[in-house]
Amino acid sequence: MTATQPRPADQPRHSLRTEVLEARPVNLDGFVEEWPEKGLVAMESDFDPAPSVRVEDGRIVELDGKQRADFDFMDTFIADHAIDVASAEESNALPSAEIARMLIDPRVSRDEVLAVTRGLTPAKVLDVVKLMNVVEIMQGMQKMRARRTPANQAHSTSARDNPIQVAADAAEGALRGFAELETTLGVVRYAPLVAIALQVGAQVGRGGVLTQCALEEATELELGMRGITAYAETISIYGTESVFIDGDDTPWSKAFLASAYASRGIKMRFTSGTGSEVQMGNAEGKSMLFLEIRCILMAKGAGVQGLQNGSISCIGVPGAVPGGLRAVAAENLVASMMDLECASGNDQSFSHSAMRRTARMMPQLLPGTDFVCSGYSAVPNADNMFAGSNFDTEDYDDWNTIQRDFQVDGGLRHVREDEILLARGKAARALQALFAHLDLPAVTDEEVEAATYANSSADYPFRDVLADLKGAQAVMDRGITGLDLVKGLEAGGFSDVAENLLTVLRQRVSGDLLQTSAVLTADFTPLSAINDPNDYAGPGTGYRLQGERWAELKKLRHVTSATDPESEVG
Amino acid sequence: MTTAAPDRTVRLRELSPAMRGTRPDEVVIAVSPAFAGHFTKTIVDVPHAEVLRQLMAGIEEQGVASRLVRVRETADLAAIAHLGAKLSGSGIAVGVLSRGTTMIHQKDLARLSNLELFPQSPLLDPAVFRMIGSNAAQYAKGESPQPVPTRNDQMARPRWQAKAALLHLKEFECIETGRSPVEVEAVFEPAPVG
Repeated sequence: MTATQPRPADQPRHSLRTEVLEARPVNLDGFVEEWPEKGLVAMESDFDPAPSVRVEDGRIVELDGKQRADFDFMDTFIADHAIDVASAEESNALPSAEIARMLIDPRVSRDEVLAVTRGLTPAKVLDVVKLMNVVEIMQGMQKMRARRTPANQAHSTSARDNPIQVAADAAEGALRGFAELETTLGVVRYAPLVAIALQVGAQVGRGGVLTQCALEEATELELGMRGITAYAETISIYGTESVFIDGDDTPWSKAFLASAYASRGIKMRFTSGTGSEVQMGNAEGKSMLFLEIRCILMAKGAGVQGLQNGSISCIGVPGAVPGGLRAVAAENLVASMMDLECASGNDQSFSHSAMRRTARMMPQLLPGTDFVCSGYSAVPNADNMFAGSNFDTEDYDDWNTIQRDFQVDGGLRHVREDEILLARGKAARALQALFAHLDLPAVTDEEVEAATYANSSADYPFRDVLADLKGAQAVMDRGITGLDLVKGLEAGGFSDVAENLLTVLRQRVSGDLLQTSAVLTADFTPLSAINDPNDYAGPGTGYRLQGERWAELKKLRHVTSATDPESEVG
Repeated sequence: MTTAAPDRTVRLRELSPAMRGTRPDEVVIAVSPAFAGHFTKTIVDVPHAEVLRQLMAGIEEQGVASRLVRVRETADLAAIAHLGAKLSGSGIAVGVLSRGTTMIHQKDLARLSNLELFPQSPLLDPAVFRMIGSNAAQYAKGESPQPVPTRNDQMARPRWQAKAALLHLKEFECIETGRSPVEVEAVFEPAPVG
């Protein structure tokens, strides 16, 4: 390609090797120099405060070099709600190297570590994780993640907001192993129909999969309260007072929102990540990781069960500075050190390089996290309305192979095509029956057929968008709830799907999904830090990929049979 | 993605404090603190001279006059565009940040509401700037043009997000708090050879 272009006379001649390197996808990525004064630095900044804490009369009066009178509202919230006052002075007096060693030493239990970390200040937490290289961070994560069994989470969206596509892809995603599925919209008014489709498709694929619809906060809460969605995650928090105020929020308003979800037994977690404050121009001269640690402590103080972190939509920023992906791994570890569920990023697109894309997820995949991705694209990236993910449907077989290569559980599995076609077709037919029962715009047989075999939104007939939007509005106006969906599925002859959805709704009453890292198994048992606590204590202990699950993960699309090398198994 | 070497540069000569325009057929182009000053080109190397030339040509083709204003007190695009709209005789302005992010605004709209927004600066090339100028002029004439088609590239973020943050921080540094908008004149010059 370059050979046909005349080289400008004034440019130096390059070697052919330089030209080959120059053409590699990695050189399309953005890289920038550090600028610590403005917060454009991952985790090693001279402008971060030094740790300190002082307690008087059961109250923190000094935090990381600031006196109480000088606290901003983040400091106040963290001092009053996130740090264990009783242990703060003693824990912070421990040498940081000692705490870092506790994190990686298998003979120190997770509970013993938590007894120390719950008293640490933000600067002290940074001081500890700054000592750790990426392998030590992974070793820490292996022990500190809250739930013993790792899982994964996916995006299921449509470039045309086509509910039939969302239902079919949700069914396939659930069947492939995702424990949670989330959607969002191009045209926001479509939300009720797409959220219903996601819920129905998920319960067809595998009963007990949890779903959410990312929207502006009031609507998202309403869909949750109606039982059309099962959890929420896009509740953004920030590490500086100025960015919080820019978003018309405070730690208290976010905590109030969290309690609104909890009041109905709806699982929810906050969202934060390195780079958001510097992206918005108000990092107040602090490193990305320091600000993220404040976010994590804020989430802890608000009493939510978990956090989606790992630099979500700002991943291009830490990805562009030195040590940025180490900082991202460290922020995941800190969320776990604070005893929060961690949906650990590996979410939005951040690199053109297949090698960098893969390397970015190793610190989460190898030790395992509560959700290795907080948004693996279970649709082709062109259909991903979250602006693309680091992994999409084209990467399924690679992901499954890497799980098999390292004998690690990344939450997915290979599924035979006949099973997938069955689930996709059934999801579309269930939605067809439900829409008919609720008098919503019809799903045609042609659409069911398309959904069964489709790859992307381009493979479906066009919908009458205006009719759909009227239908979506009707869902809201008529006060349709999750129970109406159950009744409609039952009436339409999909009793098993109705039963699955009803069981998900019943979990609201028990409140078990509010426990840290809660997910539902295929038999609707909540699996959380309470009944499935991480018990890693060195080699041979903790979660091991073995037995039935390992047998399942050994399967790939093409595996040569050992007994009959002329055929394939799987 | 990248453009040819600039064949001209632009300097913004300050004339006077910016006043409210009286011509009902004008569009104000309001530029950010570092535009055609600290910076000379957008995030994808479109020369600021070319950005202005295309915007002005798009406006002129619709038989509408353009007027240039430099905003110093903020680097917030919505604020810049809205300030420009309030100074515009027609009530319509185009706001432009140094990195290329652009917005068409109208004075009667709320600051965070707007007529058209072009948030992905890496996707804005000279042809898009010309269409933006043309649309702004049509709004100024009281018409309802088709919005300029938006482009989308899911890999724009990996490539440009960090540089955008860096450019934003630099633009922030050029803010002069309390300085009112200034009427400026674009002085185009051939780029030096070499």
